[in-house]
Amino acid sequence: MAPVVGDEVTASAGRRDENVERGGRDGAWGQRGLLVVLAVVAAAAALRPLLDHLLDHPAVAHWATIFVAIAIQALPFLVLGIGISAAIAAFVPAGLLPRALPRRPTLAVPVAAVAGAALPGCECGSVPIARRLIGNGVTPAAALTFLLSAPAINPVVLVATAVAFPRNPEMVLARLLASLLAATAVGLVWTRIGRAEWLGRLRREHRHEGTRFTVFTSTAQHDFLQAGGFLIIGAATAATLQTAVPRSVLDAVSGTGLVSVLMLAALAVILAICSEADAFIAASLTQFSLTARLAFMVVGPMVDVKLIALQAGTFGGRFAVRFAPLTFTVAVASSIVVGWWLL
Amino acid sequence: MVVAVSAAAGTITMLVGAVLLRLSTTGTYERYVRVGMGTWITIAGALVIALGAITLVRALRRPSVDGGMIDHDHDHDDHHEDGVGVGWLLLAPIAALLLVAPPTLGSFGVGRGATVDVRQGAPVFHPIRRTGTPVDMSLLEFGQRAFDHRGLSFNGAIVRLTGFVAAGGKGAFQLARYQIACCAADAIPVVVKVVGTAGSAPSRDVWVTVTGSYRGTNGELPVLAATSVMEIPAPEDPYE
Repeated sequence: MAPVVGDEVTASAGRRDENVERGGRDGAWGQRGLLVVLAVVAAAAALRPLLDHLLDHPAVAHWATIFVAIAIQALPFLVLGIGISAAIAAFVPAGLLPRALPRRPTLAVPVAAVAGAALPGCECGSVPIARRLIGNGVTPAAALTFLLSAPAINPVVLVATAVAFPRNPEMVLARLLASLLAATAVGLVWTRIGRAEWLGRLRREHRHEGTRFTVFTSTAQHDFLQAGGFLIIGAATAATLQTAVPRSVLDAVSGTGLVSVLMLAALAVILAICSEADAFIAASLTQFSLTARLAFMVVGPMVDVKLIALQAGTFGGRFAVRFAPLTFTVAVASSIVVGWWLL
Repeated sequence: MVVAVSAAAGTITMLVGAVLLRLSTTGTYERYVRVGMGTWITIAGALVIALGAITLVRALRRPSVDGGMIDHDHDHDDHHEDGVGVGWLLLAPIAALLLVAPPTLGSFGVGRGATVDVRQGAPVFHPIRRTGTPVDMSLLEFGQRAFDHRGLSFNGAIVRLTGFVAAGGKGAFQLARYQIACCAADAIPVVVKVVGTAGSAPSRDVWVTVTGSYRGTNGELPVLAATSVMEIPAPEDPYE
């Protein structure tokens, strides 16, 4: 991927940062940044009694535990994804990966969807990998299809689904088919409507140069801080919603019908549960129809508040505001179709 | 072209790794994720520390690079000159976790979301052999046995359950423990109703070991008739 010089695309977030940071251009930022890090840690130490006091509130403690849990759970997977991503950047010659896929995007998309089965892990790891696939020259539609299918259809997730639904083994097949269908459909739609400038953040990306080791570590370092920061935003959002949304919302719309499907699909977005665990939550939501619970498991690995934050950070805000609603709609639709057929 | 090297980036990264290692070596991570994740958190922590150290060494060995690393061709980029950008947010959980670790999930979450449905997917149990000594049992198994052939498999045995108090009343309280699949974000509580306790119930969120025997079901809750309730410190692995 050639970096575009004189890039015309500027995310609004970028502009804000730039205004704030212009004063720091004198070159001492690295050292000053170090001082800021130490100052933050020292300030937190000074405020420790306040933190202790806050955690006495059950709701705050609940929030903090879930926030930390999502971050701690996701970090090893993020590290795995970043490692693979950085290895592609450092060791795979540009243009090699696209040649492994059919040249026509309409064929490359379904192949990428099936290839997602090969990456065991949660959804956080597949975001940096999809970004690097595009960087290596893979057509964006195919890379995005891989991004959607990998966390939904890998063997670990399917086994977890089978364990969670011992009396409904057809749920495993339904999840596999609905996820493949959704990922492929989104990819095909993207070949039609997708525009390169929506991926503005990718085009403005630095390309790291030097020895392979330097490329590997610089890419990993950059990706880690980028993805990690947005993971924190996503984890905080999910923890807030989990703590704030009362149970009565769930109880109000149980039962069957389209409303319950939309309800659980929305719940999947809000809860931001790891794709290896969402089947157990779905299994416990017994007041909902199987189709509604299928939608919960198809939507969750593809769209949730943590993923939206990660995707906005990786591909740019203009991408995220289009991709998330498109994926949500397609995932719900394919769950309904497969649920009506199989469940 | 630019290599984003800064001491701040390296330091933040090393701090993240240090927090991960600290959580895994002290066992505190068991409050947040399932026990099997410990090894992966250790490995991830070590890798992240190494990455941060490489960045830090690189930054300190070439202090003049700081000015040169500003990419003037891409000055609309959202990375700060220190190459950290949104990564600064990682300092929030680091600062909090180095000082106070949030507690395990408590009674606040019981009744807010779904509860484990012990009536679904339960295996068929063999009867417990009566030996006279109490049988340690998870709350999940207690519930599943309760709804398997109306609790016949208990065979009158004395069982011992460990959990925290979710809600108290006169002469009865709810004992709960969370099941987690990956992390605390997906925790679902299993709840057992405990009856036959003299006086008022222990206060909420207190961990107790309850000894007693199966006494039917109350709606969707299995019921335990307690002979003794003992307060205990929170266990190291608080989830089932």
